[in-house]
Amino acid sequence: MRSRVIHAAEVVKGEMSARGATERPARESPTGTTEVEQPARPRPLRPAPAGPVGPARFPGTAPVTSTELWVGVHLIESAGGQEPVEQGLERLATCAQRFTPRVSLIPPDSVVLEVKGSLHLFGGVEGLSRALASECASLGLKSMVALAPTPLAALVAARVGKPFVVTELTRLVGQLMPLPLAALRWSDETLERLARMGVRTIGQALRLPRAGFARRFGTDSLATLDRLTGRSPDLHERFHTRERFRRRRELNYELESHDAILNALAPLLAELGKFLEARQCGVMKLECLLRHRHAEPTSCVLGLAAPLADVRRLTELLGERLSALTLPEPVRACELRSSSLVVRVFSSNSVWQPGEHGGGAGAEAPELIERLRARLGPEAVYGLQVLQGHRPENAWGIREPVTESEVKGRGRARHAPEIKTLWPAFRRPVWLLSAPKPLSERDGLPRRRGPLRLLGEPERIETGWWDGGDIARDYYTAIDVHGVRLWVFRERATPHRWFLHGVFG
Amino acid sequence: MNELRYAELHCVSNFTFLRGASHPQELVEQADTLGYTALAITDECSVAGVVRAHMTAKGKSLKLIIGAEFRLQCGLRFVALAIDRRGYGRLCRLITRGRRSASKGEYSLTRADVEELGLEQCFILWLPDRKTPDGRQASWLLERFPRARLRIAVELLCEGTDREHLASLQGIGRKLQLRLLASGDVHMHSRARRKLQDAVTSIRLGVPVAEAGWHLYPNGERYLREPARLVKLYPPELLAETDALARECHFSLDELRYEYPHELVPEGHTPTSYLRKLTEEGARRRWPDGVPEKERVEIDKELALIAELRYEAFFLTVEDIVRFARGEGILCQGRGSAANSRVCYCLGVSAVDPERGAVLLFERFISKERNEPPDIDIDFEHNRREEVIQYIYRKYGRERAALAATVIMYRSRSALRDLGKVFGLGPEESGNLAKVMQWWDGGEAMPERLREAGFDPDNPLLARLLPLARELVLFPGFPRHLSQHVGGFVISEGPLEELVPIENASMVDRTVVQWDKDDLNDLGLLKVDVLALGMLTALQLAFKLVNEVRGTQYTLGSLPAEDPAVYEMIARADTVGVFQIESRAQMAMLPRLRPKEYYDLVIEVAIVRPGPIQGDMVHPYLRRRNQEEPVVYPSPQVQQVLQRTLGVPIFQEQVMQIAIVAAGFSPGEADALRRAMGAWKRSGGIDHFKDKLLNGMRDYGYTDDFAQRIYQQMLGFGEYGFPESHAASFALLVYDSAWLKHFEPAAFACALLNSQPMGFYAPAQLVRDARSHGVEARAVDVCVSEWDCTLERSHEDWDGQPALRLGLRLVKSLSEAGAQRVVAARGQRPFASVQDLAERAVLDRGDLEALAAAGAFASLSGNRHLAFWEVAGTERRPPVPRPGVPVRGVLELDTRTGHAAEGQPLLPAPTEGERIVADYASIGLTLGRHPLALLREGLRKKQLLSADELKCVANGRVVRTAGIVLMRQRPQTASGVTFVTIEDETGQVNIIVWERVGREQRRPLLESRLLEVHGEWQRQQEVMHLIAHRLIDRTKMLGELLTRSRDFH
Repeated sequence: MRSRVIHAAEVVKGEMSARGATERPARESPTGTTEVEQPARPRPLRPAPAGPVGPARFPGTAPVTSTELWVGVHLIESAGGQEPVEQGLERLATCAQRFTPRVSLIPPDSVVLEVKGSLHLFGGVEGLSRALASECASLGLKSMVALAPTPLAALVAARVGKPFVVTELTRLVGQLMPLPLAALRWSDETLERLARMGVRTIGQALRLPRAGFARRFGTDSLATLDRLTGRSPDLHERFHTRERFRRRRELNYELESHDAILNALAPLLAELGKFLEARQCGVMKLECLLRHRHAEPTSCVLGLAAPLADVRRLTELLGERLSALTLPEPVRACELRSSSLVVRVFSSNSVWQPGEHGGGAGAEAPELIERLRARLGPEAVYGLQVLQGHRPENAWGIREPVTESEVKGRGRARHAPEIKTLWPAFRRPVWLLSAPKPLSERDGLPRRRGPLRLLGEPERIETGWWDGGDIARDYYTAIDVHGVRLWVFRERATPHRWFLHGVFG
Repeated sequence: MNELRYAELHCVSNFTFLRGASHPQELVEQADTLGYTALAITDECSVAGVVRAHMTAKGKSLKLIIGAEFRLQCGLRFVALAIDRRGYGRLCRLITRGRRSASKGEYSLTRADVEELGLEQCFILWLPDRKTPDGRQASWLLERFPRARLRIAVELLCEGTDREHLASLQGIGRKLQLRLLASGDVHMHSRARRKLQDAVTSIRLGVPVAEAGWHLYPNGERYLREPARLVKLYPPELLAETDALARECHFSLDELRYEYPHELVPEGHTPTSYLRKLTEEGARRRWPDGVPEKERVEIDKELALIAELRYEAFFLTVEDIVRFARGEGILCQGRGSAANSRVCYCLGVSAVDPERGAVLLFERFISKERNEPPDIDIDFEHNRREEVIQYIYRKYGRERAALAATVIMYRSRSALRDLGKVFGLGPEESGNLAKVMQWWDGGEAMPERLREAGFDPDNPLLARLLPLARELVLFPGFPRHLSQHVGGFVISEGPLEELVPIENASMVDRTVVQWDKDDLNDLGLLKVDVLALGMLTALQLAFKLVNEVRGTQYTLGSLPAEDPAVYEMIARADTVGVFQIESRAQMAMLPRLRPKEYYDLVIEVAIVRPGPIQGDMVHPYLRRRNQEEPVVYPSPQVQQVLQRTLGVPIFQEQVMQIAIVAAGFSPGEADALRRAMGAWKRSGGIDHFKDKLLNGMRDYGYTDDFAQRIYQQMLGFGEYGFPESHAASFALLVYDSAWLKHFEPAAFACALLNSQPMGFYAPAQLVRDARSHGVEARAVDVCVSEWDCTLERSHEDWDGQPALRLGLRLVKSLSEAGAQRVVAARGQRPFASVQDLAERAVLDRGDLEALAAAGAFASLSGNRHLAFWEVAGTERRPPVPRPGVPVRGVLELDTRTGHAAEGQPLLPAPTEGERIVADYASIGLTLGRHPLALLREGLRKKQLLSADELKCVANGRVVRTAGIVLMRQRPQTASGVTFVTIEDETGQVNIIVWERVGREQRRPLLESRLLEVHGEWQRQQEVMHLIAHRLIDRTKMLGELLTRSRDFH
């Protein structure tokens, strides 16, 4: 069997920079990029400042004299509010890499980029601003843009939302003075304490004695002010795109049997395993796309209960799914696509294998259930439970299957029935009619293929009023002419009809 | 037709909270109707419902047996039934033991408790487990109780195993030679309550009913079953046994004899002689020049009446409590029917001076026929009442003194909220539903309101929920739990727990009996109400201040009486802070009523109440008083009742008396009427009185119009009914507080500020009012202020009004302990700086910031901004440098102080507006200009008039004004009208918002802090108000100005 594996690490559309990742993967390495996403620093999402929306108009631009020039982009809204701002931010950062490799994400709603070096390529400050604005517009993003010699100043000014272009470090402080301190996004408590001293603008804060300020508000706050004014450097982690696995294999013959398809997928799965192992990650979702000559590709999606990296399990599960598929045409190419990677938490294996020494037989249950469900569909596998309730028709219920570990983990559930309270169920027939069946009667006594003989005393059940299923019945055990024991009841309400509800086994 | 003699001996009422589903009254009525010979109310470890059952059973052939059901910790269940008084006492003791050894609302008993306390003279019915009866339980009981008093209760409830159950119990009975009897585990009087029983069960369990499962009963058999059915179910001997047992029980609550503590009467005295002795001693104090003959006669009459009704001990108890309070310097005053007697005047319980125009018709309030226990409420200074309560516990012991209970009933809101959960609604939905229906009185649901709130009134869920809610809310309201009465004490001679069980209240150190005020009344058990009154605290403080400054000896009732200048001030409605007559409605009445003497104040206190207003009694009274219409009486009998109020009924007592003299009510019926008046809002149980009253009055020849008005007034009295006996006592406090306000405004304001929160007005209005009466107010200052507000010399000497120094207590979020440390540290030597203060008074950041926010550091640090800068810098240690953070020029420590050296900050000074905002935010008032003074220019441009300018506007003109909203009030009597008071720098304006305007402009009405109003100016003599047409929210103009508006509903 010959096949050709395509060794091109394709990247999902729109998720990879044009030239952003400078360290291209080695030819044999199936990686997209190697860096893991930046951990997002959580910050409260603030309402966007009111003000003009869209690209700022820049008044006569002075020559750039600072060593760096930063553009701050503050995202107000993305794609008409359809998607979270964070997602828009990533798309924006990806596009911004067109202008400069020095792009940094400032979650949750800003991006800064250093443009000093590339300014001349885009027609100076004005040209670059315009280009950036149209980039935003094409992505459907509403944003505010500001330029300043420090990234923080650019960011802060963009948040304020008024036109702000400062290209000389010497002029920076003067221009920052009137801006509100709130744009620094210090904690509410700090801002509140400053406000109570009458300090509400950046200028007022800068005027305070440094030692006194640091003592009251911490050296971190002072450091922020220093980064703002360029007194100390400001380092931001660079933005990189995030990765997924995607491989395609063209076949130079057509496959029809499920086993053959699975075999064809094997090298891809092996590669996926290595890919995941190298990153200590797993996938929650895996899509297998089977391409045909004419028909639309057949898609087969594996959703997993936990991040999985084990090739054997993945192969097994995929096999189960595939065997349930009906293919419109033979397969000419197959492809594996992963969802984004999830870091796996490793647990050490037990010394005893499942089933061995009586230990952990239950641990096989999830696998069994997963396999049964993969084969029969999720609705086909369910558990049974005794329900608490006096209405016979409600005494049993269908539920999610429970595995042993789950039962243990839950401890004592509130409604876990005790054996002692199960007793009404034991007096009842296990075989209940799905709906009670009316019985004919004579002289007020029920008949079913002849007269029924009532045994014992009635059990009166009156309940269920709260959901419209109010019942009021007297249940009896009855014996028909053939000696079959039946469970019948008489309605309490007139006309006191008789019904058959169950048969004792 | 039925020959069956059956007694139900196991029956819980809805006082087994959230288990029983019928009122004790319903159970008694139904058992009687069914022809039962007896009914035992056996609530679980409780007798809370038995008085109601007892009162209902009176006059019926049905015998009521008192008992209780118990479940011991081991699971053993039994019912104990009292055979006689002794047995009842034992029962109460066991209940008390169980309740006191568990937290509020629960009980806990063990077999050891039963062994220790015993249950002599009680029948014991063993309640075997329904599934597996355990004969050993019966054996255990048999070891403790004689066979003759022990039975096995057989409860056959159609659960399919009745025969089996009966057979197994018969087996145990034969083995142990125990007799069996039939009982029904009754939870409801009729099977129609089945749904409600399921519903309250799931409320108790805290789960939706659909999830309650087997915790619900399988069927509705736990009701009072018809004898015909019982005969089919039980062997005849089991039924007969119930009646036999019931016949042997002969305890009735009527036997409870209540004896007052003996220790109040010294050796050699009887209660009668001792009360006479104390009264005479008091009389000599009250009338140092000899008791006037007229008074002596009256006193003798009163004493004779008291002796006849054997109420001496009650008066002696009250006297003892009052004597204790007076000894401790705690201000107190009695009120209520018995308080307005000459005896109480002599005993010092009340100060209603017969010579001051008070009408002290003792018999009017306490009569032989009415057989109503005397009523004395004693008000104490609110912050010292606890001392009195602890004195009572100390003196009589916890076994002899306890608080009365209050039965918390379901109201529409709580019923809907709880039932919402029963039907699985989320808390938010249930809350919404409860909100929509909050004034729902159990009558028909209001579909349109439900629809408005987004509920489909035709939704089957609501169709199931609302009828249940109605059952919970309807008369007399389903009890939910017991709570403590505000201050009604029961004190007994013998151990109280043999009279009524005692249980724990939610407050630590409080115990309550299981009966409420009405239950105690019904059984003729006396109680003393020990209540708290903020105004007494304020008066005490004011007397102290005045006596210190002036060297006088003023106290309650000793101020110069009937000073015309005081009445003149009252008539001007210059009454901010005066007890009872400071509300807006009262202030509107004062210029019309123009009180001139004490009795006018009694009327004034009582007339501005829902009763007289709804009965439309106010205007007739005013017209008659101003001689605009003749004073006529429909009959001489009515004249006797109404003469003192010019023929217009104003007091609760008058309405009752009219019912007696003009509609033929018996005194007992009149009393029932009074109670129904108190509860009709909830229960609607006043209807049958309506017909009787209207018909009665028609028969006596009164006009329908007069009868209707009397009836309307009764409705209005509702829960706010005001008796003359209370008004008479309150009027004294009105006079005293008005006297202080007039002659000693600084001391009065100071005392009110130190007694906050109380009354109608916030500190801002109290200080503003004091300043307008010439009192100089001085700012909070850490270098001078005490915790409380104080008086300071305003000139060289104390002549004239002292100045008012605001205290640290006004500073928001300042801890009292911290403030006291500031005062103490200052006592050693003055503060050098904020740092010095922070160190010596050991203040934390929170307290320092609170003081800085209040501007209290002004004399140490300058303005608030600087104060905050200094406060922020008062840390004891310099910050530890963090490695890797490159910050230069920070840690240059000052070698002398060890603090980091730092320069002077360049901080902007606060503007006037900022100062005002900060003043309001921190101390709730400003001594600077009124915030509107700063906005006046802008307001003038909008053609808005000030309060002062409005005073010159003619009646009927259309005007515009604006002010800060002080309060919004929507009295229930005013049919949707909202009263709003706004304030600007020149004064206050009263706005009337009619219902339609309020509905259409709801948001500005409810949300504005600064409100612009356009409307019609109305003035009649000195009463002026603005009828609002248009309301505009101008809050934005205030910036972040914080004004505290008080909303009343």
